Amino acid sequence: MTREPLPDAGPPARAADLRPAGEWLAQHNLAGARPTPLLASRLAVRRRARIAAAVILTVLILASALAAVSALGGSQPHRPLPLLALTALVAGLLLAQSLLDWWVRRVDQRAGATLSRRAAHLIQPGWQAVLGRPYAVFAAATFAGAMVLAGSALAVPDPTVRRLAVVLLIGLLGGTAISAMQLRHLLRRPVVAEDEESLTADVIMRVEDARELTTPSVQWTLPMVLLFGTAPGWWSAAAVAYLLLGVGAIIVLQARTPSSATVARQVMRVG
Amino acid sequence: MIVIDAASPVPPFEQLRAQLARQIQDRTLAVGARLPTIRHLAADLGLAVNTVGRAYRELEEAGLIETRGRAGSFVSSAGEEGRERARRAAADYAAVIASVGIDTTEAIRIVQAALTSGAATPASS
Repeated sequence: MTREPLPDAGPPARAADLRPAGEWLAQHNLAGARPTPLLASRLAVRRRARIAAAVILTVLILASALAAVSALGGSQPHRPLPLLALTALVAGLLLAQSLLDWWVRRVDQRAGATLSRRAAHLIQPGWQAVLGRPYAVFAAATFAGAMVLAGSALAVPDPTVRRLAVVLLIGLLGGTAISAMQLRHLLRRPVVAEDEESLTADVIMRVEDARELTTPSVQWTLPMVLLFGTAPGWWSAAAVAYLLLGVGAIIVLQARTPSSATVARQVMRVG
Repeated sequence: MIVIDAASPVPPFEQLRAQLARQIQDRTLAVGARLPTIRHLAADLGLAVNTVGRAYRELEEAGLIETRGRAGSFVSSAGEEGRERARRAAADYAAVIASVGIDTTEAIRIVQAALTSGAATPASS
C-alpha cells in the first residue's frame, strides 16, 4: 500500500506493527481485507490524536475546577481574573485542537502522496451518514440539558452558586466548541484510500470517531465537579437525573444503532 | 467510488471524466445527485484542482452535469432526456419498418447510412 515511510507516523510498518491493523479489521468484520502499512500508520496516528484530544478535555475540566476554586477564594466578592484566565485557556485549547487536526491532516496527506492509486467517494458521506440522526439528537439534547442546568444555577439567588454557574457555562461552551471543531474536521478532511477496502476502513474510522465525540465528557463531568453539593437540593437532583437519563440514552443508542462497519457498507453502496 | 491510477498512461483528468461519465450513464449516479466540490475531490484523489476542474468542465460541455452557482455540481437530466427521445424515435422507426415489411438487416443498414451521412438531424421535441 505505502511505498515509503510516512513522515510523522513513525518507522516503516513491520509484521508486528501490522498485527493491530489486522485485529482492527477483524473487529470490524473486514477479516478478509489485508492489513496494510497505510492502515497501520493511520490507526497509530488516530490513537495518538485521540489521546491528545482526551488530554485537551481533561485540561479543560481541571482548569474549570481550578477557576471555580479561585473564583470563590479570597475576601473579594467578585474576582474576574480566574474567569478571564479560563476563557483564555479555552481559546488556547481550541487552538491546540486545531493544530492537532492540522497534524492529522498533514500525516494523512503525506500518506496519500505515497499511493499510486487513489480512491474517493463520488457521493460525499455527510453528517447524517457519518454521525447519524440518533447520535446528533443525543448530542444536541446533552448540550441543551447541560445549558439548562447552567442557566438554572445562574438563576439561584446565592452569589456563590451563580459564580460557579458562570465557570460551568464557560467550560461547557469551550468543551462543545472543541467537539464541534473535531466533528467538522472529521467530516471535511480528505479521504486517504486506494481501493474499496481502504475506503471502507476510512468510513469506519470516521463513524467511530464521530460517535465517540458525542459521548459526553465535559457535559457530564463539569456540573458534578463544580456545582453538585453547593447548589440547592433540587438542582443536584436535576443534575443526577440528567446524568442517569444520559447514561440510559447512550446505552440504548449503542445497542440499537447499526455498527460502524454496517454504516460504512451502506455509505459505500451509495457512493 | 472513483479510482485514479497515477501509473496509468491515461491522464488523470481523462480517468476521472470517463469514470464519472460511465457512472452517470449507467445510473450509478442518479439524476440530481450532488457531486463533490472540485476542491474536495482534488484533495481526496490527490490531484490538482485544475485537473478535476477540467474533467468537470468537459462533463458539463457534454451535458452530463450542470453547475448551479455556489450550490455545486449536479448530475444533469439532459443526457437522460436525450436517451429517452432516442429510444422513442427508435420505437417509431421499428414500427415503420414492420409496417412496410423491411427486414431487420436492411433496417439497420438504413440507420447506419443515415448516421454516417449525417442525415440524422435532431428531431424537434
